[in-house]
Amino acid sequence: MDSVLNQVFAGLSMASILLIVALGLAIIYGAMGVINLAHGEFVMLGAYSAWFLQEQFGLGILVALPVIFLMVAVVGWLVERGVVRWLYHRPLDTILATWGIGIVLQQLVRLGIGPESRYVARPEILDGNVILGGLVMANYRIFLIAFSAAVLVGTWYLLTRTEFGTKLRAIIQNKEISECYGIRPERVYALTFAYGAGLAGIAGALITPLVSVTPGMGTYVVVDAFLVVIVGGVGSLIGTAVASGLVGTASAAFSFLLNDTLGRVALLLAIILLIRFRPMGLFPDKVRR
Amino acid sequence: MNTTFKTDIIGYGLFAALILFVVPWAFAFDGFELNTFARYLTLGMVAMALALSWGYAGVLNLGQAATFGLGSYVMAMHLKLRASASSYNGMPDFMGWTNVEVLPWFWEPFHSLTFTLVAGLALPALVAWLMAVFMFRGRVTGVFVAIITLAFLVALQLVFISEQRYTGGQNGLTGLAPLELFGWRADAYSTSFYYMVAGCLITALALGLAVVRSKVGLILRAIREDANRVRFFGYDVARYETLAFCVSAALAGWAGMLYVLVLEFASPTYMSVPFSLGIVIWCAVGGRESLVAAALGAVVVNMLEGRLSSIFVEGWFLFLGILFIVVVLVMPRGLYGLFSDAVQRLQTVSPRDRGGKVATKATPLSATPAVKEEN
Amino acid sequence: MGHLELHNLQVQFGGLRAVDGLNLSLEQGELRCLLGPNGAGKSTTLDLICGKTAASGGSVIFGGIDVTHMAEYQRARHGIGRKFQVPSVFKDLSVIENLEVARSQHPGVLASLRVFRSRLSGRMDEVLTIVGLHDHLHVKAGNLSHGQTQWLEIAMLLMQDCKLILMDEPTAGMTVQETLKTADIFNSLRGSHTMLVVEHDMSFVRVIAEQVTVMDQGKLLAQGTVAEIERDPKVRQAYLGDEETADAAS
Repeated sequence: MDSVLNQVFAGLSMASILLIVALGLAIIYGAMGVINLAHGEFVMLGAYSAWFLQEQFGLGILVALPVIFLMVAVVGWLVERGVVRWLYHRPLDTILATWGIGIVLQQLVRLGIGPESRYVARPEILDGNVILGGLVMANYRIFLIAFSAAVLVGTWYLLTRTEFGTKLRAIIQNKEISECYGIRPERVYALTFAYGAGLAGIAGALITPLVSVTPGMGTYVVVDAFLVVIVGGVGSLIGTAVASGLVGTASAAFSFLLNDTLGRVALLLAIILLIRFRPMGLFPDKVRR
Repeated sequence: MNTTFKTDIIGYGLFAALILFVVPWAFAFDGFELNTFARYLTLGMVAMALALSWGYAGVLNLGQAATFGLGSYVMAMHLKLRASASSYNGMPDFMGWTNVEVLPWFWEPFHSLTFTLVAGLALPALVAWLMAVFMFRGRVTGVFVAIITLAFLVALQLVFISEQRYTGGQNGLTGLAPLELFGWRADAYSTSFYYMVAGCLITALALGLAVVRSKVGLILRAIREDANRVRFFGYDVARYETLAFCVSAALAGWAGMLYVLVLEFASPTYMSVPFSLGIVIWCAVGGRESLVAAALGAVVVNMLEGRLSSIFVEGWFLFLGILFIVVVLVMPRGLYGLFSDAVQRLQTVSPRDRGGKVATKATPLSATPAVKEEN
Repeated sequence: MGHLELHNLQVQFGGLRAVDGLNLSLEQGELRCLLGPNGAGKSTTLDLICGKTAASGGSVIFGGIDVTHMAEYQRARHGIGRKFQVPSVFKDLSVIENLEVARSQHPGVLASLRVFRSRLSGRMDEVLTIVGLHDHLHVKAGNLSHGQTQWLEIAMLLMQDCKLILMDEPTAGMTVQETLKTADIFNSLRGSHTMLVVEHDMSFVRVIAEQVTVMDQGKLLAQGTVAEIERDPKVRQAYLGDEETADAAS
């Protein structure tokens, strides 16, 4: 019983990182219809930024988070301005271009920093555990869950209570009319893409104490995140949150019950089946795009 | 007869002449060089297969490497069994290492060469058919086809790597016997082998051209533009898409079989994501609207890789990624697009056509108010 | 029994009943015009007949066969053809290629694998003469003028040679001469083809239609000759809006 609870807790903490990754992915897809295959590489860049800031300036992850967010957001902004914006009317080509960008980012890191694994220390304040009966909860994992909840609320606030969010939703509803009201879609798109990338960066930084940092780490995370977006549907933050909980724990359970490989295969098959039978997600947004 | 048909035929003839006569001569009939080039040709074949579904039907198969890989394993299983004929139980060596006692049932039929040759085409086509029915009956299109095929590829590779007992796992199938076909022994480093590969590519291209130049190709192009409109003419769109997908898979499987003969081993990297990305890149660089151009794209990019990767080993993949982004951004129709635009500019445009173009721009403006009033 | 029969046809979008219990019967070879104010459900009715939208109730009987639950392509094979409001030709294909797509008497994959060249003979020649596109055979449809595009689409309908032709505002954006020529074509098809035409241009309706059906709010409002319809007080109310209705009621 205790081992199951511990497993669930570990699954939830991974799910909260997944949530942050998936939020970025969902926002980018929901706003622009772009399936960003470079999203995993944004996660990877976030992780390397955390490693770099710690190595060079001795900054802990927590202190560095805002900086990492900005760094990866700038990369995202550049990618949108440089490549993605030319392809909004060619959806198949955005997939290809972002795929290419993913490769380029990965290779740049591999060449510039090296292919070997890097490690980042856990923040010292968050050492230790909370013990509840047989349930051992690492403080860092508790922090992850709380932090991702905060990111979720922050994103909800940004999308529904700020001028930026209103503009973004206006553009999603009707781009041409929004333009008539003086909204500049290209700016909103660029910022949205940057925000999504920044979120991925944060997630990448937060995951570093749990896994080793390698140039290929992103592709691993991004598959789960895709499943979350497909399960949760686009345009529904609650859907994304519930879906990451489901996917995170299911993924942990699969790997626990079967083995890692079969767990991955089951995830991929789930993606395939869901796209086929529920293309709008299990929590579909009421407003059709 | 239209001009694209003529350019297709001319391009096909030139390409055939190039790989049959010019290339062997240019490499002075050197077996080693020709083996390298035969590898490029097999890759050209799989790129051509992708062009058939992506360029014509608009079905972007990001998992083309899956069918290629299946074809390669089919061939490798036959050759592995031949190489293991004298060993314990006639079983492949890696099975002994993983304590497999009896040859698994699905390995048995690969003793037969005929079965192998048929399966190399039929198995990929069958898998593709299952996927196609699954996707196209449900009217999955565009980016979602891309994601599904990509996910399938990753899953397939994971299975092949993890089922080491049956597939050789990460190492793949090595230590293969040479193929014997009607008493002819395929020596990968002989000129006759090169001609066999070149002949296969030329035949496959002819088959592909026959499909896309028939009315099927026309309907596929119409589907790419507006699938719904095509339905209202009574065409079962899913069946056309399925045909393109399956033919493409069979050709990819064929290419996979040849690839094993060229390299003399099969590896799960043949069905990896980077390999599949490579196929897409070759196809995009050459031009997905033309089968010959896609094949040529694969040959050109791989020749470049052969030359450049020896200069900067690590940087090649980076270069390829950048090349890909640039192609997608500024020349989405690939080298073929540049070429056909240039040809069109050379041909004199008749004054009537020019009038037509001007009228297109002018009429809607004057016509729209009339519509509004009547509403 | 009519050639086309709609029985209690219904469809809902969310809470809106776009077509609400519609009954309609067309005789073989008849040309019927479908009128009605915006949002009356005219285009939706065409969508329901050709299969673009699935009906949530009722049935569509065509030539004695219930086609209500068939896919679009199956209905098309039974002889139901559709011309859309927005000219929808294949812009990347040339004129002759568009017509070849439309020549769909043998729509199977295997049949298509055996066809290699568009035969410029028989029906295709006739059709090209009717619409006057002979000189533009190899022009991409995307490069045609607006009027020519309309002609091409009508030519495609003729090529398809369907028994029932559904048309949504076929003369939208046409000049007076073009409209007249279209009317001629329709009149020549009368008798051999059953046609259901959604049209706003009353002058055009007067030229082509004997029988007119008026829809309002998804229901059948009135039916009769053009003259009868124009006198019908219910029709006036529907077109002129609520104030008039209130006046009439008081």
